[in-house]
Amino acid sequence: MELLDNLAIGFGTALTLQNLLYAFAGCLIGTLIGVLPGVGPVATLAMLLPATYALEPTSALIMLSGIYYGAQYGGSTTAILVNLPGESSSVVTCLDGYQMARQGRAGAALGTAAIGSFIAGTFATVLVAAFAPPLTELAFKFGPAEYVSLMLLGLIGAVVLASGSLVKAIGMIVLGLLLGLVGTDVNSGVSRFTFSIPELADGIGFVAVAMGVFGFAEIIANVEKKGQREVLTNNVGSVMPNVKEMKEAAPAVARGTLLGSILGILPGGGALLAAFAAYAVEKKLAGPNADPPFGKGNIRGVAGPESANNAGAQTSFIPMLTLGIPPNAVMALMIGAMTIHNIQPGPQVMTSNPTLFWGLIASMWIGNLMLVILNLPLIGLWIQLLKVPYRMLYPAILAFCCIGVYSINNATFDVLVTVFFGALGYLFYKLRCEPAPLILGFILGPMIEENLRRAMLLSRGDPTTFVTSPLSLGLLLAALALLGIATLPAIKSKRQATFQESD
Amino acid sequence: MKIRNETDFWSGVMFIAFGLFFGAFATRYNFGTAQVMGPAYFPTVLGGLLALVGVLVALAGLGRAGEGGKLERFHFAELAWVLGAAVIYAAILRWAGLLVSMLALIVISSFASHEFRWKEAIILSIVMAVITYLVFILGLKLTIPVLPAFLRN
Repeated sequence: MELLDNLAIGFGTALTLQNLLYAFAGCLIGTLIGVLPGVGPVATLAMLLPATYALEPTSALIMLSGIYYGAQYGGSTTAILVNLPGESSSVVTCLDGYQMARQGRAGAALGTAAIGSFIAGTFATVLVAAFAPPLTELAFKFGPAEYVSLMLLGLIGAVVLASGSLVKAIGMIVLGLLLGLVGTDVNSGVSRFTFSIPELADGIGFVAVAMGVFGFAEIIANVEKKGQREVLTNNVGSVMPNVKEMKEAAPAVARGTLLGSILGILPGGGALLAAFAAYAVEKKLAGPNADPPFGKGNIRGVAGPESANNAGAQTSFIPMLTLGIPPNAVMALMIGAMTIHNIQPGPQVMTSNPTLFWGLIASMWIGNLMLVILNLPLIGLWIQLLKVPYRMLYPAILAFCCIGVYSINNATFDVLVTVFFGALGYLFYKLRCEPAPLILGFILGPMIEENLRRAMLLSRGDPTTFVTSPLSLGLLLAALALLGIATLPAIKSKRQATFQESD
Repeated sequence: MKIRNETDFWSGVMFIAFGLFFGAFATRYNFGTAQVMGPAYFPTVLGGLLALVGVLVALAGLGRAGEGGKLERFHFAELAWVLGAAVIYAAILRWAGLLVSMLALIVISSFASHEFRWKEAIILSIVMAVITYLVFILGLKLTIPVLPAFLRN
């Protein structure tokens, strides 16, 4: 039982007092930012990245991942009580969760969300532990050509799964790839697109881009919206769902968990898409005669998506841990955190840092347990937090962002870069261009170029190298299939319908 | 020609502008060959691709209306207060230290809200100056100057 041995190493690492503390801190911070609308996990991770310098790499990654799945829990609280997604993957939870709250069943909705998330989290953790080793084996067979094809598949995945226009998402990815090339070219030593600014020789800081596009731009977009939010706090009620609700919710939790786990692994996937898909499935299965109808407080509309987003959040660690390739912006930040600690992300992590690898996986389950224990009794506290008006919140968020960006290199220049990307991010927001694909492109840009050059050098300039290797060909065909599916008329209209339900 | 979908059309224009910029700028570097790619190879290809995508998006904006096509108003005042506060923070941090620049950052950025109140902004700025001092200087031991330059010894 190799799996059990590995898990034993993992729990041995994760259960040390220090790591338990960081997991707890991560979950707490994650729930906090999940509850607060307008602060996403990407901005928070970017903010806290410099704070993890001083920590051991394992503790740092445990804390950062705690933030990510903690945010999935916290987001549901806001969605149910305020009808605002505290976190983007809770968008669909608003639909039925808020209606339940208005009917006095807020407690049951919150409880279902938390228990469903825990079940999903447990399942996804086992999945990560089981799938990571074989995938790692496969990854060792990868040469530069295979890596290029794999990253291409990842980028196309991000395009297909992005909400909104396909072509615009492609544009954002290419723009991200180009921005990623700014700085010194590794092969020739030439400074590219640096405008003779010495600070740009090392490239544009990833944290500055992410914080600008997600943090700053979001603040501006939120500030310009007028209007009050109404918090339903009067009667949260018992957090235990009644028997009828439990019977309804249980199969929805199971379906959401499965669906979320699969969609989380896919490149470009993760929590957001998982929640959308799970809602669509539940609604379809229930049919038009659901009682109460969907959108009017059906518990399955809470149980399915909430389980799915948590499962998806966790399985999206699989491509990051085994291949060193980030399937979404949060995982891109995790890779950034590894690089800061001098750990080269990729298949070798499992063998070179087994305690980190298995410790992180074990901590996911511990973190999920903490979240259930933490969340249900503390709901009153989160409700108080929701009463803090945004006009007092955003200057504080801005302050943490500024200090975080500055402290990465002790450079005020990085703050200015963030400001630039904040303005650009606001333009994207107005033009309805989704920024997540841009971030993915930005991370993968230099990796793709390097592997592309290497592959072409090895093949003496013959581009057929990408189709003569069976592995590479398979990946390219998968990418083509994904793109083909997305452009089918039937899927296209369905895709739009799924994403529009949130508006 | 009428612009039916403003967001699509202007997104396309943005992509074209970025694509041409990177493509044109890359001509300064060595292009190389397919076997030995120079520093200009990949950016030129991507720049061309981006411009092409831009043309497609812009044309689509001329063609069909679609939902969410209306370009919303830009709130430049809010943008300027938030980003301006960060710029000022960056400009004075080295000289004025963490505490003073934190006060400036909070008060200036608070102006962006349509519910701005002086008293609240000042209290918040003091609270945040103390919190950031405790968290980042005492807790995380980051090396940021705390006091203004003339008070340091």
